[in-house]
Amino acid sequence: MSVTTTVSLVGVGGQGILLAAAILAETAFAEGLDVKASEVKGMAQRGGSVLSTVRFGEHVWSPVARYADVVIATELLEGHRGLGLLAPQGTLVCATTTRIVPGSVLRREEEYPDDLPGAAAARGARLIAVDAEALAREAGTLRAVNVALLGAASVVLPFAAASWQRGLAAAVPAKILEVNERAFALGRGAVSNEEVGP
Amino acid sequence: MERTLFFSGNEAIAHGAVRAGAAFACGYPGTPSTEILQTAARLDGIHAEWCVNEKVALETAVGASLAGVRSIVTMKHVGLNVAADPFMTLSLTGVNAGLVIVSADDPGMHSSQNEQDSRAYAKFAKVPMLEPSDSQEAYDFVAEAFALSEEFDTPVLLRSTTRLSHGRGQVIPRVPVVLGPRDYARDIGKYVMVPHYARMRNRLVLERLQKLRARAEESPLNVLEAGTADVGIIAAGVAYAYAREAFPKAWFLKLGMSHPLPYRKVARLFRQVSRVAVVEELDPFIEEQVRALGLPVVGKEAIPADGELDQDIVFRALEPFLSRRPPRRRRPVFPPVPRLADPPPAPGLPVRPPVLCPGCTHRAVFTALRTHRLAPMGDIGCYTLGALPPLLALDSCLCMGASIGMMAGFNQALGRKAAAAVIGDSTFFHSGVTPLIDAHYNAADGLVIVLDNRTTAMTGLQGHPGTGLRADGSRGPAVDIQKLCEGIGVRCHTVDASDYGVLEAAVKAEVDAPGLGVVVALAPCVLMVPEKAGEIVIDDERCNLCGLCLDVGCPALARGEDSVSIAGSCTGCGLCTEVCRRGALSFAGATGAGTAGEGAP
Repeated sequence: MSVTTTVSLVGVGGQGILLAAAILAETAFAEGLDVKASEVKGMAQRGGSVLSTVRFGEHVWSPVARYADVVIATELLEGHRGLGLLAPQGTLVCATTTRIVPGSVLRREEEYPDDLPGAAAARGARLIAVDAEALAREAGTLRAVNVALLGAASVVLPFAAASWQRGLAAAVPAKILEVNERAFALGRGAVSNEEVGP
Repeated sequence: MERTLFFSGNEAIAHGAVRAGAAFACGYPGTPSTEILQTAARLDGIHAEWCVNEKVALETAVGASLAGVRSIVTMKHVGLNVAADPFMTLSLTGVNAGLVIVSADDPGMHSSQNEQDSRAYAKFAKVPMLEPSDSQEAYDFVAEAFALSEEFDTPVLLRSTTRLSHGRGQVIPRVPVVLGPRDYARDIGKYVMVPHYARMRNRLVLERLQKLRARAEESPLNVLEAGTADVGIIAAGVAYAYAREAFPKAWFLKLGMSHPLPYRKVARLFRQVSRVAVVEELDPFIEEQVRALGLPVVGKEAIPADGELDQDIVFRALEPFLSRRPPRRRRPVFPPVPRLADPPPAPGLPVRPPVLCPGCTHRAVFTALRTHRLAPMGDIGCYTLGALPPLLALDSCLCMGASIGMMAGFNQALGRKAAAAVIGDSTFFHSGVTPLIDAHYNAADGLVIVLDNRTTAMTGLQGHPGTGLRADGSRGPAVDIQKLCEGIGVRCHTVDASDYGVLEAAVKAEVDAPGLGVVVALAPCVLMVPEKAGEIVIDDERCNLCGLCLDVGCPALARGEDSVSIAGSCTGCGLCTEVCRRGALSFAGATGAGTAGEGAP
């Protein structure tokens, strides 16, 4: 079991979760690993929660896993939800400045959670908080939040920079490749070694 | 009531339905089922109509059941294939007033293209099934089926075969069932089968099956009949009659309710005798379940698996087996009650259900429709999301194309325009045309709104015959929905759904008009329209946070501290400006006092 690594990507429909998952899968392929992935995307364009799982290793059997070693969340509330998917001592990489408020909160029926560091600590998870919106804006488009965040997450994933380059080139359409490469690099540079820790 | 009648099974079912208080019957003709509806059409107290096909018939009957009227729908075995889509999900929603589906099998294929065994559908859909063995039972079991349907909140299958439907026998009439009123009450969690609600209903279905099995164990429909020979026979339907005549001294487990199978009654028969056979036409439906209990039984190695049986075939088939040395006695092993999956953890975080996109014009249709007192029957597509808070604009979602038939049945049952149908353009082409033809043919009242957003939006903007866009990207001829409706003979208006005033007026006109009408609410899917229609601004002074605009359920509108706020995802569709009564929301550049004149000639 332990030789297979599971990464779950969570966010809101329309945020590019599926593209980020495709880049990750292509990168693992570039490392010569076996990859299995699965996604629930029927509601992807209607603003619902989206979950995509990518698993890689020597040989991967199942396309799904109850718990992930790393959860990448492109939105703060989904980051909170993603904590529930995280294995003990897992890492949550979250775009903490991105808030997409659901209808029930807009109508004041439910409260948007606001203490992700506390919730992560309570679960014993390591949190890497990223201002992915600022990075994406700097790269040239707000739509690149997903890839900027993936760049940040790349610091805790066991792949060489060259493999990430190949993964990006394989998964991202040519006309938006450059801006996404910039976003990825900015994300990768934004996470300091102290945050990654031992 | 003392008069004895001589009825075919089909006549008996029709009379039994009226006696059970059923007031709505429909179906599609098919041998050997046809005479059920033909008989019902001659009887007082029940409305009978031929439908355009079995799927539409079932959906129409579901509408009548929802309206509070006991309903029966008839078809031959292959017709249930056509009706399988609503049938399978109807098991999840259950019913309001009782609903009985008669499927008449044709062993031997006297007049059919195949010999399929309808009983598989009872197992498939996890619904109870009754199998009468003669005309009296056909008459009596209909009332039993309606009672089960309402008690267990499920459709009930009544299986006939050629020899029951077209055989004749004595029927002693019974005292009519007296029914109290069953009002319709909107229940979105029960009738709108979006994934979230369907998951909850599915658990109830699995629990219901266990309760039904407990009922089958104690039901007088399943009788253990004592014999004098050391032989037991399990049989249902007309096969029971054959076996009874062939082996008059045998013990019998006579199954009137053959699904779910009463395992313990089966085991009780095995305690009485040392040899047991299952006599059934077509598939080893009962036999396989008995074998799964670990009980040795004679079945399809002796009884033919194809064609009809009769007492001679049954006698010759079983006689050599029953004279052999009895098999060693075994203890039955009852299957465990299946466990259900762990429910998902509730982390106490706000849910994020999918929502209609900002600027989606379906929202305008729902806003216009919900000002009227019509039960809106929904269908499958993005617009099903209109059933969720805050819009709460749809009462049902059963299967593709079900909205129009359900509307027609609902209105026919109540004799007035009490329900409307809301269906997308792609869904209309999928299976909305046939029920529209049906509603017109049967003179059903109703209002059908076709949400024509020029694409199959939910699944990612695929083409359909209304747009002519093909899978390979090429363009074919486009079918005009309005011309299609008019060709059928149905009144139809196409309106611009992005013009709220026009849309609202068209909906109101159709609500007030007599008979059946269609409004095509036309506006391209907002996902295909990249540019913003305009900039909405808010006047903080005028906004009093009344929430009218929030009720349209647009994700771009939020309740702020002192006034409503508008997010960057706003497309400028302007629906919120239409529903605001204080002029607090308006297009930038226009003034709240309505003096904007730019653009006028």
